Amino acid sequence: MKLLLAGMNHRSAPLDLRERLAVEDPAPALQKLVACDEVDEAVLLSTCNRVEVVVLTRNAEAARLRLRSLFRRELAGVDIGEAALDESLYLHRDTEAVRHLLRVASALDSMVVGEPQILGQTKEAYRAAVECGASGPILDRLFQRAFATAKRVRSDTRIAEGSISVARVAVGLAHQIFEDFRGKHALLVGAGEMVELSLAALRDEGIESIAVANRSAERASALAMHFGATAHGLDELPALLGAADVVLTSIGGSTPILTPSLVRTALRQRHGRPMFVIDIGVPRNADPAIDRFPEVFRYDIDDLAGVATANADDRRRELVRAEAIVAEEQQRFEGWFTALRAVPTIRHLRARVEAIRARELERALPRIPLDPAAREAVEALTRAIVNKILHAPVSRLRQEAEREEGMAYLEVARVLFGLDGPESPEPADSGGSPEES
Amino acid sequence: MYLAAGVAAAGGLALARPRLLRVGVGVLAGAAGLHALTFSLLHTADPTPPLTDASTAVSFMAWVGTVGFLLLLLRFRVAGLVALVAPVAFVSVFQAVLRLPHAEPAAVGSGSIPHAHVLLASAGLALLGLSGMAGALFLVEHRRLKHKRPLAARSPLPSLEALDRVNALALAVGFPLLTTGVVTGALWTQQMYGAPWTGTAHETWCLLAWAIYAVLVALRFGAQLGARRCAASAAVGFLFASFAVIGVEILT
Repeated sequence: MKLLLAGMNHRSAPLDLRERLAVEDPAPALQKLVACDEVDEAVLLSTCNRVEVVVLTRNAEAARLRLRSLFRRELAGVDIGEAALDESLYLHRDTEAVRHLLRVASALDSMVVGEPQILGQTKEAYRAAVECGASGPILDRLFQRAFATAKRVRSDTRIAEGSISVARVAVGLAHQIFEDFRGKHALLVGAGEMVELSLAALRDEGIESIAVANRSAERASALAMHFGATAHGLDELPALLGAADVVLTSIGGSTPILTPSLVRTALRQRHGRPMFVIDIGVPRNADPAIDRFPEVFRYDIDDLAGVATANADDRRRELVRAEAIVAEEQQRFEGWFTALRAVPTIRHLRARVEAIRARELERALPRIPLDPAAREAVEALTRAIVNKILHAPVSRLRQEAEREEGMAYLEVARVLFGLDGPESPEPADSGGSPEES
Repeated sequence: MYLAAGVAAAGGLALARPRLLRVGVGVLAGAAGLHALTFSLLHTADPTPPLTDASTAVSFMAWVGTVGFLLLLLRFRVAGLVALVAPVAFVSVFQAVLRLPHAEPAAVGSGSIPHAHVLLASAGLALLGLSGMAGALFLVEHRRLKHKRPLAARSPLPSLEALDRVNALALAVGFPLLTTGVVTGALWTQQMYGAPWTGTAHETWCLLAWAIYAVLVALRFGAQLGARRCAASAAVGFLFASFAVIGVEILT
């Protein structure tokens, strides 16, 4: 079994490509993936900075081609072209795939290193895969390890100390435009986690008023009530925009909601006062064409990357410690993953011994007059003997299988117990999860 | 000291060290204090100091501009402007020091009108200079932000809004002062030559500069001109006014 991770992130692919690949509901893509013979398990993570798919496969080459096809044609709905794919798609296998996922969940691969949102997004991606039946025992274990790693990194290092989210970076940037936030009005479009964080950041800065506009007025109302803002529907956007000094957008949708004509109308009402537009939506919510208005300062998620780099510098020292934790947890998962090699041998061994027990019992019992209770006791006795005899070798095999050299033990066991011989009975059920063995 | 203030401020901006910038502000304040003392000594030595000499007038203008800037610092976070104000003040004072021994006493007429003209016009130009410098820095920062090249988070450069406010306030105070300077200039000419207008190059260019500022003030406060256009106009206006007052004087 092999692990493959393919993806594009803020470093490998430009925003206009990432926004075409962004997936709101991963279930259909995941179900199609696991329906293929070459993919056993899959999880798809889609955030504003990355689209990544991790799969478990028994045929790595076929799975690789399948993933390329997914990124090239299926996610975007159109062919993005071989050249764009080669330039932007990265592919990690086994060790590297595990390391990459642990780093992603721990926010070490994030645009703002140490930011808190990615862990929640990873958990959400995993939950979606579980719900649609795409995740299985191996990826379950991998993602649980990733969450544990992220927790350790946050608690054992200061990587997240003073960590600022993309929203806080944007608010910091606003200080280069505005002297202070007194008398300023903010408009937040959307009601997701990013908007919630931005609300908190803006409120901390002492902004005069905040309006939240969203498709679902209910969600907007809940957020607004919590932060002392006002809630609005998207239809009120034109009226709200004229008063907004800071506009932050993070809402789903394939077409921009801040169009040049809408912004032009708003600017007329603003009499030349600047408007800072922070667009953290993927796909983008603000049309880049609004850059032509001198009063508008539009920053999308990639533009904010440059600002965030400075924050990464401040936490570079802590990165070393965080990377050490990732390496340790990676080794722990790989030990478990490698030990899975012992599963067929152990299962085979158990089946072989069980077959012998059952056969010998079948031969002996007719010759011994026993009532049903006594027969059951004898059955239990023989099972207990078999289990006790097998306990030590099976434990040792599992232990040794975690090491690369452990393969020798597996081979010796197969020879000693004649597992590869003609008399060796096949296990009744070759499927099932490794935990069952 | 003006030069030292400029160097400290430039270092503070380049290294993103607000403390160094504060040192620059402190040195600039010290320089303005010494500069004021110089004018006091000049006044003690001669009750009618040679302010009507162009070099001394430019030096005086630098002092007014520096004091005006220090006063603005009480209200706005624009300490980053020291990097522009201090070098301009240094050049202004340095040229005066070089030229003063050779300056010939000019025929200035009598009474307070000549000095009122120089004081008012110099103060007006000094404030318009501040407006122009704020405008120039605004344009630089605006360009950076539009091209998605923001400064580091701890950069001590002023915000666009602060620069725009300084631009507007300096223009609002500087233009009336310049206007009264032009009026007293006409009165001085009347006193000297019997007519308020003699058609010299200095008069023509100064009147043109005043007219440009009049249009700028009308657009800025009447027609709600955008901040970037105001900044560009203030910067260009000050360059023109500097040429009209100093450049033409040197050329003629």
